[in-house]
Amino acid sequence: MNKWEYAESIESSSIVNIEKKYGIFIDGKFQNANSKKFIKTISPSTEEVLSSVSLGNEIDINSAVESAKEGLKIWSKLSGTERAKYLFKLARLIQERSREFAVLETLDGGKPIKESRDFDLPQVAANFFYFAGWADKLDLSWNAKGLKPYGIVGQIIPWNFPLLMLSWKVAPALATGNVVILKPAESTPLTAILFAELCQEVGLPPGVFNLVTGDGSTGAALVKHPDISKIAFTGSTGVGKYIQKETADRDIGLTLELGGKAANIVFNDAAIDQAVEGVVNGIFFNQGHVCCAGSRLVLQEDIHDEFVTKLEKRMQSLRVGNPLDKNTDIGAINSKDQLDKITSLVNEGVEEGGTIFQTDCELPQNGFWFKPTLFTNAQPSYRISREEIFGPVLTTLTFRTPEEAIEISNNTEYGLSAGIWTEKGSKILWTADRLQAGVIWANTFNKFDPSSPFGGYKESGFGREGGRHGLLSYLKVQS
Amino acid sequence: MNEIKKTYKNYVGGKYVRSESGKTFRIELKNEFYEVPLTSRKDIRDAVVAAKKGHTDWQKLSPYNKTQVLYRLSEMLEGNFETYQQLLQDAGLTKAKAKEDIHKAVDSIIWYAGMADKWEQMTGNLNPVAGDFFNISHQESLGVVFTLNSNTQSLNSLLLNMLPALTVGCSVISFNEENSVLALKLAEDINNSDLPGGALNIMSGKFELLIEDISNHVEITAMAIYKEIHNDEKTMIKENASKSLKRIFINPPTMGLEALFPFIETKTVWHPKGR
Repeated sequence: MNKWEYAESIESSSIVNIEKKYGIFIDGKFQNANSKKFIKTISPSTEEVLSSVSLGNEIDINSAVESAKEGLKIWSKLSGTERAKYLFKLARLIQERSREFAVLETLDGGKPIKESRDFDLPQVAANFFYFAGWADKLDLSWNAKGLKPYGIVGQIIPWNFPLLMLSWKVAPALATGNVVILKPAESTPLTAILFAELCQEVGLPPGVFNLVTGDGSTGAALVKHPDISKIAFTGSTGVGKYIQKETADRDIGLTLELGGKAANIVFNDAAIDQAVEGVVNGIFFNQGHVCCAGSRLVLQEDIHDEFVTKLEKRMQSLRVGNPLDKNTDIGAINSKDQLDKITSLVNEGVEEGGTIFQTDCELPQNGFWFKPTLFTNAQPSYRISREEIFGPVLTTLTFRTPEEAIEISNNTEYGLSAGIWTEKGSKILWTADRLQAGVIWANTFNKFDPSSPFGGYKESGFGREGGRHGLLSYLKVQS
Repeated sequence: MNEIKKTYKNYVGGKYVRSESGKTFRIELKNEFYEVPLTSRKDIRDAVVAAKKGHTDWQKLSPYNKTQVLYRLSEMLEGNFETYQQLLQDAGLTKAKAKEDIHKAVDSIIWYAGMADKWEQMTGNLNPVAGDFFNISHQESLGVVFTLNSNTQSLNSLLLNMLPALTVGCSVISFNEENSVLALKLAEDINNSDLPGGALNIMSGKFELLIEDISNHVEITAMAIYKEIHNDEKTMIKENASKSLKRIFINPPTMGLEALFPFIETKTVWHPKGR
């Protein structure tokens, strides 16, 4: 029987209109940055230059803070219900323009359109809807006295879920009565810029949302500004530690959502086929550029061979390539730097003695790509077992007893997330109680919801985003 | 001639121990001298080891059991009312003020004892996620918590600086300076209250001598500073804390649900629904 030829199905990018250059968004309008410097943002799947965005400097951050002060005067006088209406309107507008946002996200970041369209954008809208409703119920949220907004909040977000991370940060901050200065990631600024246009469209008071694009130096200027009363950061543990140190001489709030090296534990009584799907989703979702990715497969020894055989077979069916193709499972690695980091860690894993399996897929000529990769025969001491790779690379470790599974899983300085696969309810609860992780998925993985708190134990950071608990990240408890 | 009344020891891991350095310092209360341990770096390291075990043993007790242990501590306090009253009066309080302080201290313990089996119902909840999932957020204790007590001559303040962390299941290293005699006296009642060894450790010394070691210790998960300290000390603590993302709380609340917030971590568990 003849196999059918593969037919691609490309999402048109004509829906987006990208300008050659962008300014920074301050006082409710786009303005030229003082720096007069720009950075190019490229499409990681083609290396084509998409646009140039302003490289904000210290003076630009100062201007943003002045704008935010004015914004706070207006915002703090509005009732909760009035704040809610702005957020509801933003949510609705995001839904209406979600295809445009999804295509832009995929172009700028390299993630499959399937994910930006079906995961990122619906979640973004949901976040604004969810937190909109809290704005006029803050007094009902916690039985605690003296909860007050911080004032001016500096927010620094990563490149893996650019608009989704914006929504995780901006929606709760505005709902609780704070005003925001946002610094998006250097390599993925475009959807944040489009969001700023939406803020204009809904008539959000000037200075309530401010956007300063740039690189690490822009973020550092934001962190150092003395009039910022709260920093919320999502990114690497290294930068998180830098922020805690840099703000040590000030009395400010900090939420740090940092790295992870999640264990995805599969017990021998798990539904194996479902677990294979869950493990694949756990690590290959968004090219593995996920802080809570299930990057350590912790497998009960007696099912190792059967499981790995099925896993490799399933991995072979992953389609790697053009992220605008609606069939693509794995898109482009976000940047050359990230690709180099993944490559170097994987090479080290091979040198250390891990057995490597990579799928037979063909990779495009241009852009940054990495084949879905599985390591077996890895030791817990290997760097691939300990360090966050932030790419489509899964490392396997084995255990014999549930106690050993807990020990292996907790043997990391991280504590963001974990997975448990077993058909036995009591074992799920026993395991969940013992795992040191802020989010635990049992018989599922990588599920998110605006109402569900997200954040880590140990060196994965502190504070929660999402849910009722996420409100506390933006409300100061007065002693 | 003044006579030396009593040499107190640190209370660590459920045992009374001298500083390994052999050093003490002197506290004067109403012309009487008390010798208390000058805690060393090594003593702190030992206390962290004890507190780690204490955390394991304390957090695994049922909330119901924790309530009873804390309630028993209040009974112990009542039983030694006159001793505390004398110490507080020696520290300069009037008889009436001393009595009032002890009554308040007992009430504080009663409040927290009754909180031990309830706070999770106020901090945790089911999350109404979109989709067929059971999703619940509940809270766990952070781990080993270092507290620098306010060091006012008040039994109530002393207790209010330990109880929030202890109630949620953390183990506590309570560090005392000027109020060391009162704190080490309290250790005797703690010892009789059925708290597992290492759950609550009481030490005396000079914080400024140990600030580097304590803030650098990676197995201390959090520090709660209830005493006014210099800004450069706060900065140093937070800078050192950043090496392991230690949680730092300067003057956190001591009563109400919000007093517990610093010492808990939220854990969220998802499970699909299906047939």
